[in-house]
Amino acid sequence: MDEPVAATPRHRPRVGVFVCHCGINIAGVVKIPELMERVRRMSGVAVVKDYKYTCSDPGQQMIRDAIKDDKLERVVVACCSPTLHETTFRNACAEAGLNPYLCEIANIREHCAWVTADKDEATTKAEGIVSTVLRKAEADQPLEAVTVPITKRALVIGAGIAGIQSALDIANAGYEVVLVEKEPSIGGHMAQLSETFPTLDCSQCILTPRTVETGRHPKIKLLTYSEVESVSGYVGNFKVKIRRKARYVDFNACTGCGLCMEKCPGRAESSFERGMAKRKAIYRLLPQAVPNRPVIDANSCTYLTKGKCGVCAKICPTQAIRYDDQDTFVEEEVGAIVMATGYELLDAKKLGSYGVGTVPDVIDGLAFERLLSASGPTSGEVKRPSDGKTPKKVVFVQCAGSRDSTQGMPYCSKICCMYTAKQAILYRHRVHDGEATICYIDVRTPGKGFEEFYKRATDDGINYLRGKVSKIFRQGDKVVVWASDTLAGRKVELEADLVVLATAVIANPEGVALARKLKTQIDTHGFMTEAHPKLRPVETLTAGFFLAGCGQGPKDIPETVAQASAAAAKVLAMFGSTKLTHSPTVAVVDEEICVGCGNCERTCAYEAVKVDEKRGIAVVNAALCEGCGACAMSCPSGAMNHKNFTKKAIFEMADQF
Amino acid sequence: MKYVYYPGCTLYTKAKSLDACARKAAARVGFELEEMPSWNCCGAIYNTGSDDLAAQVGPVRNLAKASQLGEKLVTLCAACHNVLKRVDDRLYAQGNEVERDRLIAFVDEKYERRVQVMHYLEVLKNDIGFDKVKEKVTKPLAGLKVASYYGCLMVRPKEVLQFDDPENPQVMDDLMRALGAEPTAFDFKAECCGGYLVVNRRDVAANASKRIIDNARARGAEAIVTTCPLCQYNLDKLRAVTSDAVPMFYFTQLLGLAVGLAPEELGFDVNSFDPVPFLKAKGLL
Repeated sequence: MDEPVAATPRHRPRVGVFVCHCGINIAGVVKIPELMERVRRMSGVAVVKDYKYTCSDPGQQMIRDAIKDDKLERVVVACCSPTLHETTFRNACAEAGLNPYLCEIANIREHCAWVTADKDEATTKAEGIVSTVLRKAEADQPLEAVTVPITKRALVIGAGIAGIQSALDIANAGYEVVLVEKEPSIGGHMAQLSETFPTLDCSQCILTPRTVETGRHPKIKLLTYSEVESVSGYVGNFKVKIRRKARYVDFNACTGCGLCMEKCPGRAESSFERGMAKRKAIYRLLPQAVPNRPVIDANSCTYLTKGKCGVCAKICPTQAIRYDDQDTFVEEEVGAIVMATGYELLDAKKLGSYGVGTVPDVIDGLAFERLLSASGPTSGEVKRPSDGKTPKKVVFVQCAGSRDSTQGMPYCSKICCMYTAKQAILYRHRVHDGEATICYIDVRTPGKGFEEFYKRATDDGINYLRGKVSKIFRQGDKVVVWASDTLAGRKVELEADLVVLATAVIANPEGVALARKLKTQIDTHGFMTEAHPKLRPVETLTAGFFLAGCGQGPKDIPETVAQASAAAAKVLAMFGSTKLTHSPTVAVVDEEICVGCGNCERTCAYEAVKVDEKRGIAVVNAALCEGCGACAMSCPSGAMNHKNFTKKAIFEMADQF
Repeated sequence: MKYVYYPGCTLYTKAKSLDACARKAAARVGFELEEMPSWNCCGAIYNTGSDDLAAQVGPVRNLAKASQLGEKLVTLCAACHNVLKRVDDRLYAQGNEVERDRLIAFVDEKYERRVQVMHYLEVLKNDIGFDKVKEKVTKPLAGLKVASYYGCLMVRPKEVLQFDDPENPQVMDDLMRALGAEPTAFDFKAECCGGYLVVNRRDVAANASKRIIDNARARGAEAIVTTCPLCQYNLDKLRAVTSDAVPMFYFTQLLGLAVGLAPEELGFDVNSFDPVPFLKAKGLL
């Protein structure tokens, strides 16, 4: 399909335009021969060719050959979005000896063929897109990729099972990891669980080998009771400021003997036990805590609040108590960051009709895990919170908040169908004559062994009642549940001794606040957003940040662990190279024009532009710059420009259009 | 502070006691209710027919009249409040400009501005503040265990009424606390009282009312406070003759009592089940 065209004036670069059919994606709507004819008539075009799948090897070869044969100086590929194949075609150009940044993509698929029904309109629109990109290509300058060194050390935020897995994988590959956890010990929500579905293995038994390994790993620097304050720098070269909260216990002196916790008279509600038990003012979360060191909660310690007591200091055999302890800050340098900030359950008090807060025997799923757990407040015997009696009838309510747009959570929390089935089975193991009813909307079991597990629950005599629960209230010492049985088409009123709500899984609010602070993208529900939902599921759009666990979306333990290992693999792939390359299409300052007003510095979302006080001009850190162009837009003097997207080029494109 | 006040028909007939002390209590708390002259029917029930503009005319005329007098229109009857609030919301809904213009043209009243339709409770909570109300209390309702019953009209639909959590509202509970009473948590705060079924299915309304009273009692309440004349009627009138009878109050009556209005100003004579002996036993009268 090689077509000779009229010679172009010498001062203009020779441009080759390659039109891709993308099967019928483009060719089914855009009239390719007509488009080619119109492009051929555009000034500056040296060659026009088309191919059914330009991204294929023969398609790329066509471009490489044309560059050599026709002495092309610029390449425009009219095809799909640059997010898909810009790299492919730029690499093809580089192989043929053309600077890759002289290759441009005209998106005639997503921007044209997919959104235009009329063939003539689509062809005209494609023509417009190609002609504008043509002007941009003509204005392009050859660029060299920016290279930056890498600090081969990772930060993992959150030490639940996701963070633990990522940290171990990276550390076992030989790189140092800084693992930050806000709680006094690691393990996250998994440490609260009793048994895990669908195999019913004890959560503690499978978790503790990992927590122990993490605590002892020579390559893991474990910072518990600590929070990330700020992150500066850029991919490969982050500086992280971490707040180490006052623990009032010297971790080096303390041996974890536990004498202080025995004698401490201070009491506070235990959040680990979901408010169903008290803990001491000096406490650790669980007996298998890693690190096995207690901390003092300043709000419930009578010495720290009233200056009275001091029992722990008197009794401590190693004098490890430090009442004058203060928050301290440490700085760490890392090259990559894994966000493993996890989930919380929705505060069920927000579900006004479900009685939480006014009816003590309505609890959430995590609270029921604690009632089932051997280390829980009832030592694994199922006893209800109000009077300690063994509940003979338990109603489980699925989708409490989930799949309910009126509560702001239209999404499925994914784990509840399975953990409710598990909890009902375990309840019947503990209370043989107990009756368990599960109110559900749909039962979703899309996992290995899940459907079989659900079958086991129904075979075990657990009642499944299809219908949403409308109201839960107290009547005497019973809890009454109003529900519907949509299979029988009737309203039902259930009397229960205990009600367990499978409340919606939400992104950990502290994780959401941190993501906002670190400018990691989050969706409308607070879950962190991956760079591509299918092809880049553990990366973020901020280079150097990776995702693991429920902070990215609700998921079960195996999926969390898989994702955490994937995030670690991404970090290790980065650490495997000596230097990082970064796109050179970044902002650039014309030092002759810049007056140092600082508009660009204020506009930049990446802290990539700073005004140099001495010289009185703005300076761009090319490694940090993401090339968004916001600074160039805000520059009043026109000093700030975007490489290969200069104001001049934009005006020419606009004129062309 | 002066507010335009829309009482509605029921407050001149069956629910005199809701209105009687409301104006006097307002003066004590620090605001004034100025009744709109020549108000007409609120519309009685919100008309959900999207093609029936005639039913909107009455409430729109009220809103127009109110707009000539002030910026905030205060209501007391839960039904009036619901209707006026929803008509106002529909009037100003995006994309409804044509209907709005037609309606306003039809009522032939000068429509000065969009008025803010507020319930008396919202004035107390948002404009005055419950802490200020607390300061005005001369006779705290100490020891009065009272369940706040909201019914449906005050809280639903929540997007429009924007009053409180529709499943577990708290505003009246907070007011009761400010007045020195002990608000009792209870499970049927916003369940149906039976509504207009009292007309043709009296048994259904009586059962619905009984359920509400039973739960309030089981939760430890000695009295129930309401803001809706129909709820009050069903819970008071229908149960007065039975052993379930419980002292029923409008919130304005308890507010009036707490800020020191005289017993004869509180309108207890309208109640079917006389609450006076109860209040005397409690040492509140």
